[in-house]
Amino acid sequence: MATTETDRRELLTVNMGPQHPSTHGVLRLELTLDGEVVVHCRPVIGYLHTGIEKTFEAKTYVQGVVLTDRMDYLNPLGNNLAYALSIEKLMDCPIPPRAVVLRVILAELTRLASHLMFVGSMAIDLGATSPFLYCWREREKIMDFFEGISGQRMMTSFIRPGGVAQNVEPAMLDRISEFIEVMPGYIDAYEELLTGNPIFRERTEGIGLLPTDDALALGVTGPALRGSGVALDIRKSNPYCGYETYQFEVPTGRVGDCFDRYLVRVAEMRESVKICRQALDRMPDGPVHTEDRKVMPPPKEELAKSMEAVIHHFKLWTEGIRPPVGEAYVGVESPRGELGFYVVSDGSGRPIRVHERAPSFANLQALPKIIEGGLVADVVACIASMDPIMGEVDR
Amino acid sequence: MVLDGVFAADAISLPADGITTVSVPLAELSNKISRVRDDLGYSRFVDLTAVDRLRRQDRFELVYLFYSLDRHEWLRVKSWTDGEAPSITPSVPAANWYERELFDLFGIQFHGHPGLARIMLPDTWQGHPLRRTEPLGSEPVDFTVTRKVYGHD
Repeated sequence: MATTETDRRELLTVNMGPQHPSTHGVLRLELTLDGEVVVHCRPVIGYLHTGIEKTFEAKTYVQGVVLTDRMDYLNPLGNNLAYALSIEKLMDCPIPPRAVVLRVILAELTRLASHLMFVGSMAIDLGATSPFLYCWREREKIMDFFEGISGQRMMTSFIRPGGVAQNVEPAMLDRISEFIEVMPGYIDAYEELLTGNPIFRERTEGIGLLPTDDALALGVTGPALRGSGVALDIRKSNPYCGYETYQFEVPTGRVGDCFDRYLVRVAEMRESVKICRQALDRMPDGPVHTEDRKVMPPPKEELAKSMEAVIHHFKLWTEGIRPPVGEAYVGVESPRGELGFYVVSDGSGRPIRVHERAPSFANLQALPKIIEGGLVADVVACIASMDPIMGEVDR
Repeated sequence: MVLDGVFAADAISLPADGITTVSVPLAELSNKISRVRDDLGYSRFVDLTAVDRLRRQDRFELVYLFYSLDRHEWLRVKSWTDGEAPSITPSVPAANWYERELFDLFGIQFHGHPGLARIMLPDTWQGHPLRRTEPLGSEPVDFTVTRKVYGHD
């Protein structure tokens, strides 16, 4: 703590974080206070920097999938998907329809789980403990699905270049279907607890205003940008995985305060449920891997009969995928905004550069904008409403 | 083609991902980026990163990504440098942390940046880890349990 005297004001500099429960990881904010008012805010990041982008250079393309889970750890399947799409663009390999629909279901379930975490943690940051427990209950069900599908609750690495890791059993799809039926009722329950709650509204309405122009200038994307009234959703504007064939709305806010950002995410949960419902109804049969032998190994029964299959098998397990020389970026809509992997290949089995366009990194730049001028007690609401994940900020 | 008036035909290419890519000499970078944003409508800054090409004379390839909110498409702008570049942060505030990240991890100096400091690594860190001349994982981490192994104690 340090105090400085300017004019008649006595300014106080305090550190919030990096070990503060509301900073959702290890974010440090240097706040300059004039009484209760924050006059200056400087986010300090890097506490979770583990050099993931450097590590990519030493891994094969398929090994890289495992690293993507660990960037945004609340959106592991979405990160897998973005990475896989970039490599598939480089390889120009078609993905069978069943795998595409499975990817949509998994990506939307992950979005649900991430937004559940958001609603719960925003509530607990503002002092309401019970919504957190209810949200956790439903999130746990989604984690159970992931465990049943891939063997892992969080770090699934399930969506891989060339398709998904393995088929999903019909019984599991039935369980997901049952969950999707009851989910809207749960969302109603959270809304009853929070949306109409006078204390919650008092603490979020008109707090942390982010005007549209500032949001665009600072590179904000996702629910934070839509909360400020810009209906930009990559699933609508630049569809991937056949999102153009699903019926869903892009909810937007009106004024761009913390409450709008909360409302947008709750509305998005309902849209995700709708997308999941449509995807489950249209689930086609068939393989879940591409036929391209340069991306996926041949099936076991072919190995006994075909020399070429043996060669492909050997090359894939020793060298891995070898995309042609080039570069690719595919933007996808993560629960936090525009996510994309910029992958550069020199034709060998390992990428020379993998860069993640992390939505939280850009969104955090706008944090001083929404915090400065507000009260120190509202800082917590502002951080929670931006929903940053330090794993992908620091990488 | 909307880009024809601003960029020469041989500066425009289309990589595998279908994002139009234009190459710009470093001296014209700031000028061209403001034209891309103001005249061509690619107003939203999306991303900035670098690729260490090592064998090229200007080894760092700067890769800017912009997005047009009207046409819903990305545009990639590329330039090459051996370690210095003009900062676009004064006109594009969103590029602030991206330039700091490149300064930190690649050691590229952005002239005109309002606060060029390390962002990921400690200020006392030596070197720039994303340069391809930097070895992978050679820095032993100083934990109590590893002190004996690396002989710090």
